[in-house]
Amino acid sequence: MSDKKRGLSKAREIYLNRSQRVRELKAAGKRIMGYPCAYVPLEMITALDLVPYRTCGDMKEPVTEADRALPSSFCPIMRTCLDCALKGKNDFLDGMVTIHSCDPQEKTARVWESYTDYPYFHFIDMPVTVRPEALEYFEGQLNDFKKTLEAFSGKKLSTGTLEAAIESHNRQRTLVRELYELTKPSPPLVSGTEIVQVVKALMSLPVAEGNELLADIMSEVQTRTDGPERKAARLLIWGSTLDNTDIMQVFEAKANVVMDESCGGIRAYRAEVRRSPDPIEGLADYYLNEITCARSFRQAILGETRKRYARDLQSRFGYLKGIIKEWNINGAIMLLVRYCDPFAFEMPSLKDYFDGLGIPNTYIEYDYTAGALAPLRTRVEAFLETIS
Amino acid sequence: MTKVALIDKSSNLISTVKGPTGPEHRQLANEVMRQALEKVSLQIDDISCIVATGYGRVNVPFADRQITELSCHARGVFSIFPNVRTAIDIGGQDAKCMKIDNGRLISFVMNDKCAAGTGRFLEVTAATLGVKLEDMGDISLKATKRIQISNLCTIFAQQEVVALLSHGERLEDIVAGLHNALASRIAALAQRLGIEPDLVLTGGGAKNTGMVRAVKESLGRELLVPEEPLLTGALGAAILAGETYMKAVAASGAFSAKPRRLEKATFFGREHR
Amino acid sequence: MAGEKEKRAINRLESMRPLRAKVNETYLKSVEAMQAGKPAVWGMLNFYYGDPVLKAMDIEVVYPENYGAIAAATGVAQQYLDRANADGFPTHLCGYSLTTLGYASRMMKELKGQIPPEAPLGGMPKPLFLMSSAAICDARYKWFQSLGRYMDAPVWTLEAPTPGVKEFFIEGYYDRMVDLGVKHLSSFVTFVEDMVGRKMDWDKLDKTANLMIEINRVWHEVNELRKVKPCPMHSRDFWSAMPAALFLAGDLEDSLGLYQDMYKEVKGRVDSGTGAIPEEKYRLVFAELPPWHSLSFFDKLAERGWNFVIESFGYRPPIPIDLSKVSDPLERITRFNLQFFAGYYEDARKQNVLGGAFAYPYLKYAREWKCDGALLHPLISCRSASTHLPYVSNMLMEKLKVPSLSIEGDIVDLRLFNPQDALARAEPFEETMEHYRKMRKQEGLDW
Repeated sequence: MSDKKRGLSKAREIYLNRSQRVRELKAAGKRIMGYPCAYVPLEMITALDLVPYRTCGDMKEPVTEADRALPSSFCPIMRTCLDCALKGKNDFLDGMVTIHSCDPQEKTARVWESYTDYPYFHFIDMPVTVRPEALEYFEGQLNDFKKTLEAFSGKKLSTGTLEAAIESHNRQRTLVRELYELTKPSPPLVSGTEIVQVVKALMSLPVAEGNELLADIMSEVQTRTDGPERKAARLLIWGSTLDNTDIMQVFEAKANVVMDESCGGIRAYRAEVRRSPDPIEGLADYYLNEITCARSFRQAILGETRKRYARDLQSRFGYLKGIIKEWNINGAIMLLVRYCDPFAFEMPSLKDYFDGLGIPNTYIEYDYTAGALAPLRTRVEAFLETIS
Repeated sequence: MTKVALIDKSSNLISTVKGPTGPEHRQLANEVMRQALEKVSLQIDDISCIVATGYGRVNVPFADRQITELSCHARGVFSIFPNVRTAIDIGGQDAKCMKIDNGRLISFVMNDKCAAGTGRFLEVTAATLGVKLEDMGDISLKATKRIQISNLCTIFAQQEVVALLSHGERLEDIVAGLHNALASRIAALAQRLGIEPDLVLTGGGAKNTGMVRAVKESLGRELLVPEEPLLTGALGAAILAGETYMKAVAASGAFSAKPRRLEKATFFGREHR
Repeated sequence: MAGEKEKRAINRLESMRPLRAKVNETYLKSVEAMQAGKPAVWGMLNFYYGDPVLKAMDIEVVYPENYGAIAAATGVAQQYLDRANADGFPTHLCGYSLTTLGYASRMMKELKGQIPPEAPLGGMPKPLFLMSSAAICDARYKWFQSLGRYMDAPVWTLEAPTPGVKEFFIEGYYDRMVDLGVKHLSSFVTFVEDMVGRKMDWDKLDKTANLMIEINRVWHEVNELRKVKPCPMHSRDFWSAMPAALFLAGDLEDSLGLYQDMYKEVKGRVDSGTGAIPEEKYRLVFAELPPWHSLSFFDKLAERGWNFVIESFGYRPPIPIDLSKVSDPLERITRFNLQFFAGYYEDARKQNVLGGAFAYPYLKYAREWKCDGALLHPLISCRSASTHLPYVSNMLMEKLKVPSLSIEGDIVDLRLFNPQDALARAEPFEETMEHYRKMRKQEGLDW
């Protein structure tokens, strides 16, 4: 990769040409491991000297190949993700790690596995509750994953190397959170659009290189004078995945997006893997309990025999309250990708929660295609007109 | 359809034009504006402030401001019905419901891209039935029987209409069924927002007597309909333009309008000033 | 489903009728229970896992999924769908879930807890708690969680491990699924005990589990008899008779006797060479829920010689395994539940069909029940039941040269299924089936 560019401009370059670096690494003898979801424990991949690479779709690419196996009324993100894979856009992959984080992930994994022939393919099952027996089962799943990955890489995964990988990935999480600290001022020092580029760059690089890039970006952003302008509103976006700058710019044309609670933003970095005598136990705990995707069934008290709606909302969405306060957010957008059941069911309740906090909010649905941007713009602007 | 409304200092409507419909006309805001000016013998430079609205609002090179149709409708409806709290607009491409407080948009919902909840639903099914779109409303009022029609999907409704005809159902009853299907979809949209009176219906749907009846029935509420239901957006834009101008003058003594050139929008080399 | 007086092309089983009556019995019992001040629970299809626990505790269960179908068939679903949409649930969600959410909204918000007067079969009473399941799709457990907006009824979500075909054979994998199942079920028992304020009668659970397993074994044997040519039992009889085995509707001892009667009747037909239709020309597998509102469509097809000999794996009894040596009823229940998926895996791995439970069973059916074609019925608002069908269709063709005919429908908007259209497409499909019969011969397949 050219070293001419640094910091944010390098992130932008990688964003625009995501596979460039992994192709170089591949040519240099590294093996590349694809993954389609934030729930795949990257630490284990990194620790075995494999390079994790998040396989994404392309909003501008019409879905054709995936039509062979997935109907049109199906998660558009997984459709385009599989479509790109079937079109050979990830032809550098040595393997794929898939996970049962949601139904479309699981169904797509089945099709993916039978229509491609990577040297390695693994499916991790994932429970939906966060109960102790579910955690234990998930830990077993991660140990199975470890076995197959060891067999593939021909190496043993030692506690020491896994701990080191956890530390590197935790470092990345800390750095991303520090970057988000810089959206707290008004105007923010870094835009939502830039963060989309940064996060997608991180998903395209080995963790150490990602951390280097982040360190560069931190020093650049802290002292920059060409940051974003102050706009009429400071927005929180909540959704499954917002990984495209064209979508982000629909919001940022007239507002500052200071918090992106999605897989293209802070979600995979909001918490950290706890140190634990058995590092796999720590990973299981982090991935099952700490990532805040609508796919999990959470309760105020596990197995509660008395339910109160307010307490239930608090247990599912309570973490957003602090974000709204600290980032001084004055508008929340629930961005729904059509046919995403977990997020769609969550929305009316989250609306109740936002209403309870007195935070103006709106729900916007789109189908993750370039054609959806114009109607999206009208909804966003009208919402901004109501709160400005 | 591109529309223009011109108002004077006291917010009196002095000229309106409704342009032709169709994507090929979207770039022709300049033509419609020229016609509106001609009607009252004015020049483009006589206009103090111009607000563009609607999906094509970014393609009006001579506009000073762009404001969404939601805010403009809210303002326009309020100028006609000062007690309005909720407005429903049924257009050809989308349907929207607005909560309005003293002329300001406070919240809204719009239906999805799907045609089943928009005027397009009637357009498509009218074609299937071989009936003119503008006749649909009157035909529906002659219904004597209640027929339920799938409101999930326009394509399926089309097939269903054909099946109903072949079963010997009467045209009037089918057309009324179609109106009810669309109205129930729109009512669900409006209820998501919570309806408060006065309730106003605008857009192409409000020109259709059958649609007005069906929405009234679906919501079980009284509805107000403006005389020119297609013009509320343009009217609201004009009023907001007037307010923008007045505010600027009050604040700094003058409003700096964009250079006025009545030209066609180009999609490729935009912003070449 | 009523009024079978005119002569039909399908020769229905007499023994199906008392089993068909079990569903209505369930609703009446739940309303009676409520009137008598006894608790009722809302449950969802959970594949022999939570049901035996509730059954052993004498708790009446109603199934909103099933109720969604009833609301649709009786024409009241639309107002519930509209209400759910008005409450902010998007229109593209599962039709059954929207129906229940709208129903709960009407009952709890508008009628302050009273059962809506328009509700069919006496309605679903306000539940003591909700028993949800992670099996099959996300919509289901998210839907019961969402009911919290309308009622403060506690929710239990039953776990449902979903292994990949290859992964399933990793050493220790199956045992860990059993371990999760047993621990989870034991926590569920404690939860239920706390909710109803009574202790589990373990002997009764033991008996219930055995009855459930035995019912499903007999039911499985009934279906094995359908491999015979001509097939003695049509899919319509399967659908009519399935609720008592699938979600334990009605009294279990009674159900066991009824399935045994059914076995005798079907065996009698096998012995006398009697088919379910007068002249069997084509044998078909049906995928997903049938168009409940247009079941007479199958009579029209039967007149053309189409016999439906097997159907969707999601509602079929698990392939039996010997569980008689498993002494803990919770473990027996768990292993039986896992068999629902796992019963197919050994074979799926051999055939290298990595789609697993998601697609493999259809291949097994087509091969063993000697099918000439598959009729796929994707459901517009039920993604979980439709997603895999294009893949199933590819695999059937690729591996077995069995063609598929896909006709869209829905679970709540029953009018989406157009029987005239479907029939118009069935006729040319006969030529397709004939063609692939020859192709299979050429490839050395034996049917």
